[in-house]
Amino acid sequence: MGTRERRVRSNESDRELSRLFSAAHEKLHSNATREFAGVALAAVGGFGRGELTPGSDLDILLLHTDQYSEKELLSFVNTLLYPIWDGTTSNASVPRNVDHAVRTPSQTRDVAKLDLKVAMGLLDIRFICGDSDLVSKVGENALHDWRKESRNRLVELRKMLAERHERAGELAYLLEPDLKEARGGLRDITALRAIARSAAIEIPLERISNAESSLSNIREALHIQSGRSRDRLLFQEQDKVASTLGYKDADELMGAVAQSAREIDYLMQSTWHRLDHRSSKGKDGWLSRRAKSLSVGRGISVANQELVVDSDAIRIDDPVLGLRAAAKAAQLGIHLSMESCVHLAEGLRDGIGAMPEPWPREAREDLVSLIGAGSAMIHVWEALDQEGIISSWLPEWSAVRSLPQRNFLHRHTVDRHMVETAVHAASLTRNVHRPDLLLVAALFHDIGKGEREDHSQRGARLIEPLARRIGFSEPDVSTLRILVEQHLLLAATATRRDLNDPATIISVLARIPDLQTLELLHTLSIADGEATGSAAWSNWKATLVADLVARTRAAMTGTTVAPQPELTHEQRAFAEVASLRVEVIVRESDYAIEIIAPDRPGLLSIVAGVLNLARLDVRSARTKSHGPSAVMTWIVSLDPHAPAPTAEKIHGEIQSALAGGGDLARRIEERAKTYAQLPSIPVPPPVVQSVMGASSECTVIEVRSHDQPGLLFRIGDAVTRCRVDIRSAIVTTLGAEAIDTLYITEISAGALSEKRAQEVVERLKGALL
Amino acid sequence: MKLITAILKPFKLDEVKNALQAHGVTGMTVSEASGFGRQGGHTEVYRGAEYTVDLIPKVRLEVLVDDAEAESVIAVIIKAASTGSIGDGKVWSTPVDQVVRVRTGERGPDAI
Repeated sequence: MGTRERRVRSNESDRELSRLFSAAHEKLHSNATREFAGVALAAVGGFGRGELTPGSDLDILLLHTDQYSEKELLSFVNTLLYPIWDGTTSNASVPRNVDHAVRTPSQTRDVAKLDLKVAMGLLDIRFICGDSDLVSKVGENALHDWRKESRNRLVELRKMLAERHERAGELAYLLEPDLKEARGGLRDITALRAIARSAAIEIPLERISNAESSLSNIREALHIQSGRSRDRLLFQEQDKVASTLGYKDADELMGAVAQSAREIDYLMQSTWHRLDHRSSKGKDGWLSRRAKSLSVGRGISVANQELVVDSDAIRIDDPVLGLRAAAKAAQLGIHLSMESCVHLAEGLRDGIGAMPEPWPREAREDLVSLIGAGSAMIHVWEALDQEGIISSWLPEWSAVRSLPQRNFLHRHTVDRHMVETAVHAASLTRNVHRPDLLLVAALFHDIGKGEREDHSQRGARLIEPLARRIGFSEPDVSTLRILVEQHLLLAATATRRDLNDPATIISVLARIPDLQTLELLHTLSIADGEATGSAAWSNWKATLVADLVARTRAAMTGTTVAPQPELTHEQRAFAEVASLRVEVIVRESDYAIEIIAPDRPGLLSIVAGVLNLARLDVRSARTKSHGPSAVMTWIVSLDPHAPAPTAEKIHGEIQSALAGGGDLARRIEERAKTYAQLPSIPVPPPVVQSVMGASSECTVIEVRSHDQPGLLFRIGDAVTRCRVDIRSAIVTTLGAEAIDTLYITEISAGALSEKRAQEVVERLKGALL
Repeated sequence: MKLITAILKPFKLDEVKNALQAHGVTGMTVSEASGFGRQGGHTEVYRGAEYTVDLIPKVRLEVLVDDAEAESVIAVIIKAASTGSIGDGKVWSTPVDQVVRVRTGERGPDAI
């Protein structure tokens, strides 16, 4: 089994067809000395490429120059084909299914114009016997027409592929897939070849040569095993095909199918993407390649609607470069360029840009931003995975890559299921106070699959060192371990245990330590269920799980609200004096800025605005009023093209803004406009809520939103307009998600009434939407 | 022949299933269902916010049996499904005219 056998089969068919052709020709011309002028036999399609499996059709084209009558041609075809149809050929390995056409070169050209499949089949035309000039001429015309009309034909091809994929599904994820028709299947390779031959774009077809040979071998084994020409790899055939080809078992076989299909599909998607985003203004119009690029971070730019890694950045040993590029691409909803991925992977193989342990904070945040981008993450993740970059960062991933789940509940391989779970989790980030933990748990919840051991237990063991390596703190590592270990707990308990029995709630409480973990586990269960499919997650189950969560929550004490920050003795001493003081501390990858300023309404938004205009991105902040001052600690990262912040400069800017100068609002608005020109992805709407009873002196307002430039300025500004005072603020950015907790009072002191709190909530919602 | 239909609390399914198998019942159909009876839904109070759960999740179990078996199968289901509290569900039986096994074409009690 293999290319050689398929070629031998094709050669044997050629010989048999040549023999029959000569016989037919002799019958037509009783004078056997006549040359084969004006008639020829050619192979097209797969047979044209010289590849025949036992179940393949013999796709042949009988070309003639219109010198014979219809009757003569009919007799010719009958003499040629009846022995094949009847199975009376001298060689038993010649397939009996013949797909034939009888045409003149000009008829062939006309039909090809109307029928895309014919046009594509002719790109592989191969002479078998007869008048070879006829076949060369048809081949030349076919290629010429294909190139000339490529613009329209590729649009047509894309439509045809989309319809076929819709019908046949994805080869990588189906349990009984069609090797030829499904997305990522053998027909897609033929399509890629046809696109390459249009010369509209260069396609690195060598990337999928292994995938093509694997799928072709599997198809050939399937035809031999089943004795039929069907291309659907049914359950009942999988074990036999696996053993014929020397795979350990059907799982390994289906893993190989999935892997090949993903390689093919990735090349196909990248090809369409590159075709779509050729610059239309260039000299060569559609074919032109270069477009202007826009820098969107250190070493990364957007060009042709793709995120590209700058060529000089790749040579610098920057371990975060790949994740920064991936996170940015996903957050902008664009592709990560294939060339960049190849270069990043080459760098990693040469030891450039290897990730240190633990990961730097920036890398962890970029991973969270990447996972949190929703469906925009899928293509970026796939691109990184195809180049082996994911496995280099997260070696645990290799064990679940393309791992099939032969279980009727599941639609996807283990790795894709986890990616899909992360996509669903990204739409649920507003349900939790730690979106970063939710997203990471979603992406790794089934990491323990693939061995006989219980996958939740094994996953819990694997996630601990992994989370530590990514740089999570010990309490976070522990939460992630519980999330992975217990990810089936809520669904299993809710459907199988008596929720009215106090023992049920007690058993859940024993496994979930606090409200925050319960909130995370509930959201993870929903994301996991939704990603698995309707067989695993229905309203019925969701209601039962929600009931269990409500009962468990009622039995818990504590709060999810971030506590007010504590001030040091030194900070308090400075705060007693109402004067402005700024200190900038340079840290490894960011800056800590401590600001003590005379307290006044609107101070938070003024300082946030000044930092925003200095192109400092707020990662976290803690502020608290003390005596006549407010003490603020900001952790900020610097835009790569901005000057480093100095205490003097920030001091001056704040002083000027406090005196009413600087026109902050207008300048921030302008800055936001430049960001608005970049593409964006859909994100869940912000959540603003007041948490009653969380503090005795203050009203607590929580804001959960997608991070955006000037967010904190707008929050501070909206609160100030309600004429209330911010006593403390705890600002956290986790990947691309922001969680802000505000402790507010009336200016005359005292917590807000419920009505006033609602007024602030509404004002904030209005400012953020 | 009779079709026995039972509406049960979800967590009782395994127990009922095991009891029926022990009783010699070889096949059954189980589906997710929601509804309310005398229990009438219930009201949950969480941190001051009251919300009503009007359709309660249940499972629906269906078994085809010969007439002579019907009463004993109902008894087995009731014994296994009972917790004594409200919302335990209901079991009923309906007469069935004909049953055909698709694969073999067998009819009547032979097809059960």
